Amino acid sequence: MKMIRAIIKPEKVEEVVNALEKEGVISLTKLDVFGRGRQKGIQAGSSIYDELPKVMLMIVLEDAKAEKVVDVIEDNARTGNIGDGKIFVSAVDEAYTIRTGEKGL
Amino acid sequence: MKEIIAIIRMNKMQKTKNALAGVDCPSMTANKVLGRGKQKGLQLLQPEIKPEERKWNGMRMKYIPKRMLLIVVDDAEVDKIVKTIIRVNRTGEIGDGKIFICPLEDAIRVRTGERGEEAI
Repeated sequence: MKMIRAIIKPEKVEEVVNALEKEGVISLTKLDVFGRGRQKGIQAGSSIYDELPKVMLMIVLEDAKAEKVVDVIEDNARTGNIGDGKIFVSAVDEAYTIRTGEKGL
Repeated sequence: MKEIIAIIRMNKMQKTKNALAGVDCPSMTANKVLGRGKQKGLQLLQPEIKPEERKWNGMRMKYIPKRMLLIVVDDAEVDKIVKTIIRVNRTGEIGDGKIFICPLEDAIRVRTGERGEEAI
């Protein structure tokens, strides 16, 4: 299993989620985060904003689907400007459903 | 070393904390998150309509507020913690949550600079 953590612009969230829904990826967790990238945030004149609001989407799915989902997020979250965000993919060993206590997604 | 990510109901937080303290694993990071599962969030059904005629009428909550717990532990303790979380949080209804177990390479205690197992 893989965990995909995508940090994207807040205004792009609905677009991405709807696109994922079409791909059959419904389950996800989202949380509001603040961060900055390589550009050290945004500088407007003398004021520097280095904690920019972003939304993190957390999706756990089968290995085979991971590649496709990364593509979908990439295509839908892209504006071409600085600050579009990042996607991280990491490994998950096991998953449990609390309701049934069973292993697996 | 493993990282346990548990997504649970908001109102089970206190019980879960107490239960985890009871099995000697009190350290955790907690976060408020929004999420949904296979069921696409919550949908509101009109009670006056008979169950077999109920249709999704477009009224639904897309995301449900949940608590996310991050717990980092030794490999040997994973099983115990997973069992405890499932025991406390299980109601048998949809929305009980999920537990994910991820591999973790290293941990560092900031105060002393210890690494690895001692840092947990």
